[in-house]
Amino acid sequence: MTTKDKYKKVAYYPGCALEGSGHSYNRSTKAVGKALGLDLVEVKNWNCCGAMEVKNVDPKLQTYLSSRVMSVAANEMDMDVVMAPCNGCYHNLKKAEYDLANDEESVEVVDRLSKKAGHKTYESGQVETIHALDWIKETIGEDGLRERVKNSLAGIKIANYYGCMYTRPRHIFPEKDQGPGSESTSKPHFMDDLLAAAGAENVDFPLKTACCGGAHTLSDTDTSTKLVLNILKTAKLAGADVIATECPTCHSGLEMHQIRAEKVLGERVDIKILYFTQLLGMALGLKPRKVGVHENISDSIRFLKEKGLG
Amino acid sequence: MPIHEKSLIRPENLKTHDELVLDGIDVSGHWSTFIESRVVTDYNEALEEEIAALPGGEFVHRCWQCGSCTNSCTVNAINPDFNPRYWIYLIRTGMESELLRDKDIIWQCVSCNKCTYACPRDVFPEGVMKATAHWLEHKGHTPKSPSMHFDEVFTEQIVKTGKIEESRTIRRFFARTNQRLFQSWMIEMVKRMLRGLPIGMLTRMGLASLIAPRTSDWSAASDAMQEYIDEQNDKHTEALNLAALAKRPDQDVAA
Repeated sequence: MTTKDKYKKVAYYPGCALEGSGHSYNRSTKAVGKALGLDLVEVKNWNCCGAMEVKNVDPKLQTYLSSRVMSVAANEMDMDVVMAPCNGCYHNLKKAEYDLANDEESVEVVDRLSKKAGHKTYESGQVETIHALDWIKETIGEDGLRERVKNSLAGIKIANYYGCMYTRPRHIFPEKDQGPGSESTSKPHFMDDLLAAAGAENVDFPLKTACCGGAHTLSDTDTSTKLVLNILKTAKLAGADVIATECPTCHSGLEMHQIRAEKVLGERVDIKILYFTQLLGMALGLKPRKVGVHENISDSIRFLKEKGLG
Repeated sequence: MPIHEKSLIRPENLKTHDELVLDGIDVSGHWSTFIESRVVTDYNEALEEEIAALPGGEFVHRCWQCGSCTNSCTVNAINPDFNPRYWIYLIRTGMESELLRDKDIIWQCVSCNKCTYACPRDVFPEGVMKATAHWLEHKGHTPKSPSMHFDEVFTEQIVKTGKIEESRTIRRFFARTNQRLFQSWMIEMVKRMLRGLPIGMLTRMGLASLIAPRTSDWSAASDAMQEYIDEQNDKHTEALNLAALAKRPDQDVAA
């Protein structure tokens, strides 16, 4: 089976954020999948992957949590691909996969905890974890998207923001940096490629993989506000109308600190923040509400109407 | 970006005099600055081993001081005092008192992993930062950082229910760190959130915060994880020789 066919039906792992603050990412990912004829089967009775916090209490606890999600997909659902749109989930599943393939101590701890918890131990290689970007890029690709676009994103200037966890640290992403066609960890381009195929104009944005301070968004708010403000201003200077995101932590961090910068530092940056799946969905002819634009904190409705997408 | 290094000469060690003549030579002002000599005698020879015993610190011994971590560091770019390379140097040489001068900012590492990406020796500096922050707390040099409070509130909820319900986590975190939940920007954010939300979504969010979402049949996993956390805590207590520190009079009475 080709990768293209293999990714047409995947185990879908939304994760906690997509059931809360990132609900519009959940809604738009499902809507885009439906519009493209791709099949998402939600991982049964899933648990949190450990996010960015559990590893600070103990990294192997995070490995266990992530391994359980993969174990359910492989052993209880007989799936071989897990698709996670959240960068945090995607990163943690990849990290668990790497550790279970390379670190005996992690294997031992995960086995011990899985047995006590009463489920099959996940073994490295049972599933492949992919991001929503890989999913659309592999199954539909740029050519496929071009054929399906109903409302071109022409005239919308986009800064594509990938964040930290999609590319770093590089050793947990062995499929990246493999030459032409593969994703790059230093200058990622999958989101650029997809949005360009939908007609958007991508601006040259130097902070694609900069950090938004998401890990400390509430515990060190001043640092996060400074980091986000830098991202917003740079995108604006690069000429962007919109920052396209692919991670609920980045997305809500940008939205929250955009407001905080305005309220606390008196710095207002007028730039829209949308999930790439929301942009793609609208390009495929879906109404803004169908992709959850009204669920975002920042208000883009008028802007989208002006651009002919409302 | 240039490497912003911390000067080894600290401002308080600079001696200047408005009017000073020594052996007939005028040495007033800054043209001939005196630097107070500094002698380090209080090395902690076990410091590197202690950091290495905590999760994330395992590979600190690999560092050859190239400075790629500090050069790529997100936090260093906004605060030049945040210097992972220098702290790794201090850890490896056992200069504990020097390290303690920066004790209040080490927890601020945002885990962006730029250092881990850049490091040619696989030191995993991000992990070393976390291990060092833990070490500072374990040894009683710093109180629990806001970040550690957040990590604990978060982990407790996952161990208990298997999932995170954000508003609950946020409320607990603000309560535990004695912060006001409704700050001006928070109120503004909630206002803007509510503006576009349909009733159905509001009801769903309200329900989620009342009845936390949970993974079913979680109790065995929960017990297994709690047992593991306790076991690791014991291990760290032993590695850092904290038993002696923890043995306080009131505990003796209770026993």
